[in-house]
Amino acid sequence: MSALATLILLSLKLNFRNRMAILYGYLFPLIFLVAFWALYRNDPVPLALHLGQLVTITVLGGACFGLPTTIVSERERGVWRRYALAPAPRWLFVASILIARYVLLLTAALLQIALALAFGMPLPAHPLVFFIAFTVTAIAFMAIGLVIAMLVDNVPAVQALGQCIFLPMLIIGGVAVRLESLPTWAQTASAFFPGRYAVAALQSAATGSGRAPFELLALLLIALAAGIAAAGLFRWDRQFTPNRAWVAVALGMWVAIGVWNQARPVAVAQPVKDTKEAGTPQTYAAPAVARTWRDVTDADIARIAFDRLPPDEGIVSPVARPDEEPDPVLAPQLERIQAALPGWAPGNVADPVQRARNLLLLAAVPDLMQMEQVERFVPRLVFARLQTVIPPRDLPKILCWIAMHPDDGGDAAIHTLQAFGLPDPTGPATPFHGREMLYAFKLLGRLTGNIKAPR
Amino acid sequence: MVLRVAGLAKRFGAVTAVDAVSFQVGAGEVLGLLGANGAGKTTTVDCILGLLTPDAGSVTIDGLAPRDARAKFGAVLQATGLPAKITPREALNAFSHLSFPRKRESNFLLERFGLTEKADAPYDTLSGGQQQRLALALAFIGDPQLLVLDEPTAGLDIQARRSLHDDIRVARAEGRAVLLTTHDMAEAQALCDRIAVIAKGRIVAIGTPDALAAGGALEDSIADLMR
Repeated sequence: MSALATLILLSLKLNFRNRMAILYGYLFPLIFLVAFWALYRNDPVPLALHLGQLVTITVLGGACFGLPTTIVSERERGVWRRYALAPAPRWLFVASILIARYVLLLTAALLQIALALAFGMPLPAHPLVFFIAFTVTAIAFMAIGLVIAMLVDNVPAVQALGQCIFLPMLIIGGVAVRLESLPTWAQTASAFFPGRYAVAALQSAATGSGRAPFELLALLLIALAAGIAAAGLFRWDRQFTPNRAWVAVALGMWVAIGVWNQARPVAVAQPVKDTKEAGTPQTYAAPAVARTWRDVTDADIARIAFDRLPPDEGIVSPVARPDEEPDPVLAPQLERIQAALPGWAPGNVADPVQRARNLLLLAAVPDLMQMEQVERFVPRLVFARLQTVIPPRDLPKILCWIAMHPDDGGDAAIHTLQAFGLPDPTGPATPFHGREMLYAFKLLGRLTGNIKAPR
Repeated sequence: MVLRVAGLAKRFGAVTAVDAVSFQVGAGEVLGLLGANGAGKTTTVDCILGLLTPDAGSVTIDGLAPRDARAKFGAVLQATGLPAKITPREALNAFSHLSFPRKRESNFLLERFGLTEKADAPYDTLSGGQQQRLALALAFIGDPQLLVLDEPTAGLDIQARRSLHDDIRVARAEGRAVLLTTHDMAEAQALCDRIAVIAKGRIVAIGTPDALAAGGALEDSIADLMR
């Protein structure tokens, strides 16, 4: 067996003898998976829309904590000082540790995917691309882990510096919290963290088109810069002080990629000014004077401030753009909803106002229950259905009426949504009225030309 | 000569740790580098092994620069360890796969250094003496011409020290050059063919133990030199 293979095998053996390494390397990713599964239990397809996030978290933890912890603890024990005396090139030892770590990350990700499959997630749409994206992500984060290992003197310092990178990436870097759910400033900041590109590349391979050339290139450049920095900082022994200026090479690439991403001619982030509160009708319009929906006039509609409505790309009352295609993984769910709509009794009741309320409820439930992505496409189906089942001259008046009187009408339809494969909500129906109001305003704005789609 | 050190100097900022240090060690000879803590012994050793780059002077091992001569020397250094869960057998196997032109079998080394019974025990369960014997076994993997031992008996009990002393004598008998740093005068007197006394980074005397003692007690003579 070659020296490299011997050292890789030894690194793997030693890792599996370390309980803490197994806990952090294998158990934590599975805990994250179960947490995501519980958190997004209303997703139409379990975990598929979060696979990019989950695998990125696994790689991030293993590369930015596991790898430097191993290297630094060995260096503290003088193991690397012993390596330095051996008649072998230093790359041999570094390569053996990196390859062993890659194997650990790969097995952890495979274990995570296996459990996700058991929960009902389908296989990634582009398995080979997913493997490539995983490998590029692992290389980028391991290079960052090497920089951390060379910078710090002891294991507690690895934890401190690792957290400084891990937590921001998790929270505002588009890793644990999806970009769409972040405020504008955080979306901008996320472009300067590698995690965002890893999630995008992996998710594209899992449920999207499988094409993420910019993200893969960004990760490779980040890996290259971090690799150069780590080589410049390299030290066998903690007694040698590294030239910390090399860190600028690694961080400089983060900044360059962020700037490049901001300059790209594609809208990857939209302003989000949402709050969870939908507001009241008076938030968006002057009090109505009409006594029934038939009395609504153009003047009533003209008093509505459509520009105050939450943006379509936000987390409150989102609406997909007309030219936007859903992830293929969502197609069966959306097809099921579309097929069930004509036969859904609440959507065909005699009273046109209640009929419209019931249909708007169908858009409100996925939104409030945070059924990611589904919530953005169902309103399109609902809008189309409303324009089919309500006469065109009445629809603006009815929408305005519902928007101004969201708490009127019955809520019985809320418990009939299983026909669409949607969950049966528990608790009061009042929160759903707010979302019905917003969707009524949004369709009204489209019908009257006050909202230009896409916004 | 196996090891030649000529005019070696190393500074750390304004502090001169080693200055104009010169000595040689031949095959089958044990040279003791004797000095108080902080005298410059470890810095000298690190320069000899290529772990530090000297500011002046030269080091050759069998005619080669230290970084080109790694297959020719074995070393037991302070603050040098192994992963906690590695076993002696695994450590010897792993290091024997590195580029040594001449290799000793792991089983032979385990037996020679009395580690057969502990061959499959994790490193962190070995006693200090056993860990030091494993370090010595690792130093012997490449069948080295030069052994560099930096305070190898520090922290060991009497039995372990005696055992290690025997190993050093065997190495000398096998024709290896041995550089031994110590601050223990009795150890130096018992093991070394010659002693170089280092104080404040300079070699202040070099010679056989008898010559250094100059008819009196070696300990008193060296203590005078080290002041």
